[in-house]
Amino acid sequence: MITNKMIDSFIEKIPPKPDALHATIKFLNDGNLTKAAKVAEEDLALKSYLIHLVNKPIYGFKTEVSDIGQIFGILSLSGSQQTVYNYMLSLLCPKKWELFNLNEISFNELQANLSSHWKKILDFLNIKDKEIESAITLLPASIIVSEALFSTKKEDVELLRSVNALDYNTILTRLCGTSLFDICNMIATKWDMSQQIQQIVYASSGLNPSDNEQINTLAKWMHLLLFYELSQPLFIKAGLNDFIDFQLEYVQDIYEDFTKVMEL
Amino acid sequence: MRAILKNGIGLFSPQGFLDGNNSSSFLSIEDVDATVELNTDMILVSLKKVIFFNKNGLDVFIKLFSKIKKKKNIIVGFCDYDSKKFTAISKFYSSEMNFSLFRTYDIALLFSNSFKNKNKNVLLYSDDKSQRTAMAIELHDFGHNPVVCQTYEEFHEKSSNSSAYDNIIYDTFIGQMGQKIATRVAGNTIIYSVSSFLDADIGNTFNIAYHNNSLNVGFRLFIFDAYKVISMNIHALNFFSKLSTSAAEYNATICFVGLDFTKIPLSFKDTMEDSGILFYKQMDDILQNKELLKELGASSAANIKNKRVIDKAIVTKLPDFIEATVATIEMMTNSKAKKEAVEVNKIEIKEKSDRIASSIGFYGDIDGMVVLVFPTKIAKKACELLIGESTDDLELILDTLAELVNIVGGKIKSLLGDHDVRVNITLPRTYQSIDSLMEVIENKKGVQVDLAFDDDKFLFFLTK
Repeated sequence: MITNKMIDSFIEKIPPKPDALHATIKFLNDGNLTKAAKVAEEDLALKSYLIHLVNKPIYGFKTEVSDIGQIFGILSLSGSQQTVYNYMLSLLCPKKWELFNLNEISFNELQANLSSHWKKILDFLNIKDKEIESAITLLPASIIVSEALFSTKKEDVELLRSVNALDYNTILTRLCGTSLFDICNMIATKWDMSQQIQQIVYASSGLNPSDNEQINTLAKWMHLLLFYELSQPLFIKAGLNDFIDFQLEYVQDIYEDFTKVMEL
Repeated sequence: MRAILKNGIGLFSPQGFLDGNNSSSFLSIEDVDATVELNTDMILVSLKKVIFFNKNGLDVFIKLFSKIKKKKNIIVGFCDYDSKKFTAISKFYSSEMNFSLFRTYDIALLFSNSFKNKNKNVLLYSDDKSQRTAMAIELHDFGHNPVVCQTYEEFHEKSSNSSAYDNIIYDTFIGQMGQKIATRVAGNTIIYSVSSFLDADIGNTFNIAYHNNSLNVGFRLFIFDAYKVISMNIHALNFFSKLSTSAAEYNATICFVGLDFTKIPLSFKDTMEDSGILFYKQMDDILQNKELLKELGASSAANIKNKRVIDKAIVTKLPDFIEATVATIEMMTNSKAKKEAVEVNKIEIKEKSDRIASSIGFYGDIDGMVVLVFPTKIAKKACELLIGESTDDLELILDTLAELVNIVGGKIKSLLGDHDVRVNITLPRTYQSIDSLMEVIENKKGVQVDLAFDDDKFLFFLTK
C-alpha cells in the first residue's frame, strides 16, 4: 500500500526554503526584526499571508495593517518566527484535501489554535525560548504527511480500519518501519529547523518518550494539546480525531494542570 | 465516526475530550444505523482513549442509545473505563441507567451472542445484589461459568488469585439486555437464539432477509436455541411452520433444541413436526454428531438437491473479485501479485500441506462465495499488519484471517457497487486445513485463479 519508495519520493518533492524565506528566518534567529521584515517584503506570498493573518479579528485592528515591519513588531520575535514556520508548512498543504475534510481556512485555524494555546502552556510553564515556542508549528506536518501518503488509498484504509482500530501512524510504521513523526523530522531537517524542535515533536507522538526531562514534559503537553484541538467539532468532522493514537497514560500526570491552563 | 465491527459488537472509539459541544460530531444516528445494519448485536462506545467527559457529552450518546434500543432491541452502552469513570457515569445516571457498562471490551464479549458457549470461568462482583444475580444468570445463559462473590472482601480475596479465572468482572452494569433474535454460525450451521414468550412479534425480531440469504449461499441446517423459551402462541407456531415449509424448498432443515413443552400445547409440536421441524434436547446432540450433521445437510454443500452452478452474471464480474482480493493481499503484505492461471472447473489444490483457507459469501443482485487458500506463510505475513507482530498462534492467525477476508468482502461489495451491482456479504469462515475446506466445496464448480505473491502460490476460487 505505502512503500519506502513513496516516502522517499514525498521527501524529495518537498521544496527547499525559498531564498527570501531562508533569509527571513536567519534574521529572526539573530533577533533582527527590521532586516527580517525587509527581506520578507520580497516574498509576496509570505507578505500576503502575514497581512491576512494579522488583520484577523482576533488582533482587533480597526484599520488594515500592511507594513511587514509593523506586523513583525505586533507578533514579536518568537511570534514572527512561529508565523513564518506556519507559513512554510502551509506551503506543503495540498490544494485539495482528499483524506481529511480540511481546506486552507480550517488548516490555518488548526495552526492558529495550536500556536495560541501552546503560548498559554509555555507561559504556565514559565518557558521563554523561541525555539520551543516554534516547536508547535511542526506538529501539523504529521497531518500533511498522512494526507500526502494515504489520500490515494483512502478506501483501502477505511476498509482496514473497519475491522481493526489502526491509526495512520501505526499502519505506516508496520508497513514501512517509518513513522509519521520520523517523516516530520525529515521535513524539519530539510528546512534546517532546530534539533530541539525535532526532538519535542518526535516525542509528542507519545510512543517514544525522550530521556531529556524537559523535552519529555513539553512533548506530553504537546500531545495532550493536539488531542484537545482534535476533539473540537471542526476537526472531528474533518476526520482528524483518530488519525494518530491518543496515549492517555503518557499525559495522565499533566492532565490536572492542563485543565487549569485551558480553563476546563 | 465509523465503528469497528468484531464478534457482533460495533465499537466506536472517540479520543480526547467529550462534552456537549463535540459529542454529536463523534457519533451520528447515521453512523449507528449503518453499524446496526451489519447484523450487530451490541453497540458500545469505548472510553479507553477519552481523558475527559461530562454528563452533557454522554447525554448525546445516551439519546442515540435509547433510539437504537427502541428500534432494534440490541445491547447498548459504554466499555473500557477505569473505576473513576465508572463511578462518575453511575452518579450521572443513577436511577435511570437503561444502558450497559462493561469495564473492558473482553467483559462485553462474554455477554455477546457471537461469543456464546466458550465456557469461560468468570469471577463476578457488584455491590448491587440484583446486578450480581442478573449478570450471573446472563453469563450462565451465554455458556460461561460465573463465580459470584457476595461481599467485597470475598471478591478481594478470590481476585488475588487471578490466574484461576479467565475474566474478572467488577465495575460493570447490565442494563436491559437485547431482545433481538441473535444469530451465530457454527461450522455450516446457523444458530438462532430465541427466548421468553414467542408471539406475533417474532416476525419483527427475526431477520428474515438474513435467513433467506443464508439459504441462498448454501446453508442447509438452521437450529433454534430454545432453552429459554417459556411458551409460544399460535402466531409464533404459524411463523415457524411457514419458515420450515419454505426452507424445505432448499432442502434445508430446521431444528429446535431445548424446547420445553410443559407450557406449550402438545398439538403445537405435532404441527411443527408435520411441517418438517425436528426437535432435540441438547445442542451437542446435533453439533457433536457428525453422522447426524451430514444427514441434516450441515457437513457439506454437496447435499444440496439442486446444485447451483456458476453463471455468466458472476463470471463477468470476475475482474472485480480478483482486483478486490489482489489489492487487499498486496496492501496487507506490501508485495506484488502475479496471475498465473485461470480455469473453470472444480477446485484443485495441488499442495495441501501448510495451507489455510477462508471463505466469504455474498448475496444480492448476484450471489456466490469466494474461497481463498493461503500458504500459511502468506497468511501470517498478511495478518502481521493487523496483529502488529509475527505470530505462530494458529488460532490468532485464523481469527485475523477472518478480518482480512472481511476486508476483501468489503472491497468486493464496494467495487461491484461501482458497477451498480448491489450485494451484501456474509460472515467469513476460516478452515485450518484443506481437508476441512474440501468437505464444503469439493464438488462445486467455479472459477479458479492461481496467483503468485513473490514466490508463494495463492489460490482464489469463485463459486456459487
